This record gives sequence, C-alpha cells and structure tokens, in this order.
Amino acid sequence: MAEKKKGRLTKVLDYLKHDDPFSKGVAFCPGCGLELLLRFIPRVLGNDIVITGTPSCSAPVLLGQNNQSWHTLSYFGTLMTGAAANATGLVRYYRKAGIDNTVVCFNGDGTANDIGFGNLSGAAERNEPFIYICYDNEGYMNTGIQKSGTTPFGATTTTTPYGTVSRGKNLRRMNLGLKMAMNKIPYTATATLSDLDDLARKLLKAKEAKERGFCFLHVFAPCPTGWGADPADTIEICRQAVKTNYFPLWEAENGRIRMTKTVKKPKPVNTYTKLMKKFNHMTEADHVILQDDVDYEYCLLGGLSVLEAECQLPVSVKDQGETS
Amino acid sequence: MSSNRYFKHQGPWSDAADPLMCTDTGDWRTKRPVVDKEKCIFCGFCAIYCPIGVMVMQGDTHFEADLDFCKGCGICAKECPKGAIIMISEGEFVS
Amino acid sequence: MNTTTAPKRIKVITGNAAAAIAAKLARPDVVAAYPITPQTEVIEQISTFHASGEMDCELITVEGENSAMNAVMAASLAGGRVFTASSSWGLVFMYDAVLAVAGARAPVVMVNVNRETPGIIAVSSGQQDMISTRDAGWIFLIAEDCQEVLDLVLQAYRLAEDYDIQLPVMVHYDGFFLSYLSEGVDIPEQETVDRFLSVLKDQPKRTVLTPGRKLGVGSHGILGGYMELRHKHVTAMERSKAKFEEIDREFDGIFGRTYGGQVEEYRTDDADMVLVGSGSMCGTIKSVIDDQREKGVRIGLVKIRMYRPFPHQALVAALKGKKAIGVVDRSLAFGFDGGPIYTELKAFETRLDGAQLISFIDGIANTDITKTNVEKMIRMTGDLADGKDVPEVTWVSYPDANTKGEK
Repeated sequence: MAEKKKGRLTKVLDYLKHDDPFSKGVAFCPGCGLELLLRFIPRVLGNDIVITGTPSCSAPVLLGQNNQSWHTLSYFGTLMTGAAANATGLVRYYRKAGIDNTVVCFNGDGTANDIGFGNLSGAAERNEPFIYICYDNEGYMNTGIQKSGTTPFGATTTTTPYGTVSRGKNLRRMNLGLKMAMNKIPYTATATLSDLDDLARKLLKAKEAKERGFCFLHVFAPCPTGWGADPADTIEICRQAVKTNYFPLWEAENGRIRMTKTVKKPKPVNTYTKLMKKFNHMTEADHVILQDDVDYEYCLLGGLSVLEAECQLPVSVKDQGETS
Repeated sequence: MSSNRYFKHQGPWSDAADPLMCTDTGDWRTKRPVVDKEKCIFCGFCAIYCPIGVMVMQGDTHFEADLDFCKGCGICAKECPKGAIIMISEGEFVS
Repeated sequence: MNTTTAPKRIKVITGNAAAAIAAKLARPDVVAAYPITPQTEVIEQISTFHASGEMDCELITVEGENSAMNAVMAASLAGGRVFTASSSWGLVFMYDAVLAVAGARAPVVMVNVNRETPGIIAVSSGQQDMISTRDAGWIFLIAEDCQEVLDLVLQAYRLAEDYDIQLPVMVHYDGFFLSYLSEGVDIPEQETVDRFLSVLKDQPKRTVLTPGRKLGVGSHGILGGYMELRHKHVTAMERSKAKFEEIDREFDGIFGRTYGGQVEEYRTDDADMVLVGSGSMCGTIKSVIDDQREKGVRIGLVKIRMYRPFPHQALVAALKGKKAIGVVDRSLAFGFDGGPIYTELKAFETRLDGAQLISFIDGIANTDITKTNVEKMIRMTGDLADGKDVPEVTWVSYPDANTKGEK
C-alpha cells in the first residue's frame, strides 16, 4: 500500500536536488509567492550560487543583519539602480580569476523594469554570463504597494488609487519578458509558480545557457498582501494567469520564441481578476480594455513565434548553440 | 582599532557560519493545516507549493506541517487534489 | 630628492594618458568606465591597451557611470583589483554607488578629472564635483601635474588595498588643465611598479565574496552594528593619513620622487605668509613665489595632496605661527563666508597661534589662475599680515563680486 503511494509523488520533487539554504522562519507574508520562488531557486540550481539582492521584499531575508544571516548562500546586497552592473562585476572578476560561478541577479519588477532597467539592458547588450531573475509582483510591495511599469491596467495601488477622477492605473503594463527576448540573448523565459516543473526546467536551461551569455527569467509571483488576495490562492492566481493568457509561458533562445504551454481555450481575464481586490472596482468596460491588452500581447507573442519558426536561422546564430 | 562586537569584518559582511537567524513564524498562524492520512495520496503537491517548505514527508505515507514555522496561509489545503488537508482555527487547539 | 634610483624614461604625455598608463602598470583585474569630457581619453587609452593585449584585464564598456561604479564595486568585493575613471556629472550619476563602495569598504581606485557641476552646463574646470562628494567616505588625493597623476594612482592602490585601510581612493586632477596638458612624465618600468605593489601580497587577505563560501556582503547594520561600522570607517580614514606618509617615503625609495605626504610644503620654512592651494594651480603659485622671493617677499605654499581625510594635523603643523594665510578654492561652499577648503581650515584657526585667514575663489569655469591673479592674492595676504583691512572673501577673476556691500 505504502509503495503504491510513493509512485504518485510529483516529479517536481526530483528537481529539488539540493538543500533549502534558508532558515525556516523568515519574515515573508503568509502565502508569499516570492518566498516559494526564493527557496526554490537554490534547491534546483545548487547552494553554490552567488545571489544578488536589492532593497525590496527580498532584501530583509536575502541580506543579513549585522554579522548574521538568514541563509547560507553567498550573497551581494546592492542598490536597485545597479543590480545588473554588480552581477557583471562579479562574473567578470570570477572569469578573470578562473573561478567557476553561477551568479543569480534576483530582483523585483521595480528594479528590473523601472529604476534598474538601464543596467539590465546594458548587461544584455554585453551578453554578460549570469542569470537575471525578475520576480514580478506588479508593483513596489515592500514600500507599501505602489505602481510600477508592470502594474496592469486598472489595478489599484497606493499611487494609482480608485477615486472620483481615477479608476486605478490608467496605463497598460510593459512586457518585460518580450523586451528582453528582443535583445537576442541566449535565453529568455517566463515562468510562474503554478507550473513548477516548467520553472525548474527553465532554471536548469538558464544555468546551461549562461555559459553562452546573458539569461533572463521573468517569473510571475503574486503578492497576496498587496493585491488583496486570499493567501491560499497564490498558486491558483498563477494558474489562472496562465489559463487566461494574462501571463503566457514561453521561452526564447537567441530571441527565437517558443510557447512552453499553450492554452487551448483561454478563459476570459475576469476569471483571473476576480481572485483579488485590486481589480474589484473594474467595470465591464474596464475589463474590455484589460482583455484587449492581454489579447494584443498574446497576438504579438504568437506572431513573433510564428515568424521565428518560419525564418531561416543564419548559420552564425545556429553556431551560438541552441539546445531545443 | 574598533571593536568587532557586531561585525567580524571591516565592512558589512554577514557570516552564515554563525547560527542562522530564525523567526517563530508559527506564532503568526490563525489556522493550521490538518492532514487526513487516509485521504492523502502522497502526491507531494502540498510540499512543493508550500512557500516555506514546511510540509514534511512522514515516511512514505503522508505529509504533515511543521507547526513551528507554518504561517497558516492555506495553500496546501487549497492545492491538495484530494481535499485531504483542512484548515482549522487555532482556537480549536487551545486547551 | 633622491635621484639615484631607477633610470628615467621621460615621455611627453597628457594627464589623462598618465592616468591610463598608471592604471595599466597597476595590472587591474577589472576596468569599467563610461566616457565623459574631459576624462574620455583615459578610457580610450585603456581600451587601446586592452585591444593590443598590453593590458590583461576584463574591460566592461558599460552603458552609464552608475554601472561603472557598481561593476567595479562588485569586482572589488569579489577580490579583484579594479579601476574606473569619471568626471563631473558622471561622478554625480554614480553617486549612490560611490557611497555604497565606501560603506562596503571596497578598495576601488578611480580618477576623477575635476569639472564644474552646477546646473549651468559648464564644460569647464573646477573642483565642485570633488567638493560635492567630499564626505562620501572615500580617500581623496589631488595631483598637481601629470607626473603626480601617474604617481598618485600607483600610491592610491597601495593605500586602498592596504589591509589596515581597505578604503576606496579617488585621485583628482584638474580637467582641461591637466587632462589635456602634455608634459614630460617619467614612466616607471613594469617590474619597478610590481615591486612597489608587491607589499600588498604579503599582507593578510581581506574578506572577499566567493561562490559557496557562505559569506555575504551588504548586510544591514542594525543599531550598534551600524555605528560600529561607521566608527571603523572613520578610524580607518584617520589611519590612512600616516599610511599615506609611509607610502610616500617608500615611493621615494623606489622611484626617487617624494611629495611630502598629506601636504607638500614649498618654501614655507621662513615664510611669514602662506598660500594654501591644491591641484594644477600650485605650479603657477610656486613660480610666482620664486619671483616674489627674489624681491624679498617671505611667501610659501602649502599644497593639499590629501583632501579626505582632511589633513588638519599636517596643515596646522605647517601653518602654525605664520602671520597670514590665503586659501585658494576652486569651488564654492554655500552659507559660509569663503570657499570650502577655507571654511574647513577656519575650524582650526585657534590652533594656528594667531595666524589670520582669508579666502580666494578663483579658477572656476575654466578661468585661468594666472600669475597676475596669484600676485594679487599674495599682495592681499601681505596686507592682512600688515594688519590692513582686507575683505574676507575675494573672487579674484570676478571683480563684480567684490563690490562694497556684497560678500
């Protein structure tokens, strides 16, 4: 009976080959997507990664307090403005000194898409050999839920509140993953926490691809506290984000886009938005705008992946070593 | 020279050779996950989705939460495909 | 001066070239930099050295100064020897990382080619960029001529990476004047520089960030921990004063050139009056002093070589008992009567045994600090020594500032 039971164990566990380097009791909110992601990365990639962290929700845990630490990883606590440049400095010195390394530059969407985008872009241009992971909780959560460039249309934050002349964020979100893929870096991927086998595979693929240069993972990581969601719904929110095409899962090698999960009959975006309060005030008309934006982004992605699939790959690009 | 009371090094270095810091996050909990061993099919979804990683394998039969650190978010109960985990108010366990 | 040591290999080069050659001779592991006038030639030269294989370093051609400083900070904390160069707005754009480097005690060495930084776009010389960054926690050294640019960069590595110091060092030199001025520079042999820097290899190893070593940098300083690190920083800065003097003496032994450490004194021994200056103006001042000495004017110069930490002990020792002191500033301080260096020196006035101080503002916005200007400063300092009524502050090249009723 017991043996029978063991046969059903999820294969995600097979990816978790390494110890969790974090202390069990760390101060992330209950149901925090970031906590799940942060513990997951070194369990897949190994405990010998060097992780860089900036002021954000991750900082109180990634960075120590005086001489003490919350985890056993080597880390570099840095500023939001220069995260990718810091990681660049590390990998360049390690290369010069012949020290094997996997540097993971771990940042929120505020650093990646907004204040630190310049140096992220520079690192991509120079094809620096490290893995940049953006955990996207669609805003500045640590400072108290402010709008960022990835905050979606309609969402309320403390700087895009609902009021008589305001209906939440009146701008569309930026598509960070696509922006990065268009730099033709060795590996770009989106991932989320409902699809952990997909995330684990992409992490391992990035670790291998970083031997050829810059890798970027855009991970959708809900913030129940900031979004007004039930902490128990964190994974369900991720799942619905994928099923509505709100956050499609894809990867791109040297900019060639391939869907890693296609949704046959995408659900309307309100099956996603109804899971949290930040969209509560939205009317049907508002939902049409958000739905249009989701559909438009998906169209772009689809168009690009078709184009990329059809186009003849130059030999020089093939030589850069694609794995798929 | 200055003292090394808080930091061993000249700069802001923290040393994981010291015992790791740890917060009693179990104190935050208002509900706790209770696992029905009979219903549990040992799939491990509760374990992989638990943000803290406190769903501990009990032999090869079922999982149970480490209540010292479980924050009571309820993801495990929500994600369990068999409904084998229910969240019960901590008040029920006050003797 | 000891001239019996290494043979001279004089080349006529700019201050920027001297900085680039010094960087090459120090064999840094990682160089990251972004172009800005008047620093650009430094990174052009380094790029040429790198392209020809003369310089074996990782060269990071970043997309902005902020990234230059962030990249060298991380490379330094990982264990590398690093170099970067900037100026003016570039220094301002990297300012958050400049502070972070100091707080992390990363021994970064950089040159800053002084240029104005007011909101009025000024592609001109001035030390306002240095003054605006003075309490970032870096050691600041100031060069007078192209030779000193080269020598100070080499000395900067010894100072920054010394186990007892572990602080970033910024070598300043006047943009447009020194950056583009070509003059004869004695370029030392690689082996001689290697010997000078080899002392560092025998010291204990500083803490570095290594994969898998379970150490992290950038920890939060909590309560007493924060104060402990700040105090460690302050005491390391104080230690750097004596260390710099020691390095200068050792440099003399190997290269046959000495500058006197924190301050250089020029004809001050029997002087009644002294000008206090820094940077390229000092060459002109020395020349005027020589002329005035011919006429029997007992004037000398104290040149500030180390500006942070502020070398007040050395300054007081050099200025004590003089009758009058004129301080020449190439920048402004707001809310004070006089330039920034004047204001700082003023804090030690009571230790100067009655010496009186006046402030001269000159050389900002590329105005030349001419011999005539220096003669005027000496005349006014002489008037002060003679007990005459002299304004506390004089904008030497801008008479409109000195009209009655205005400071």
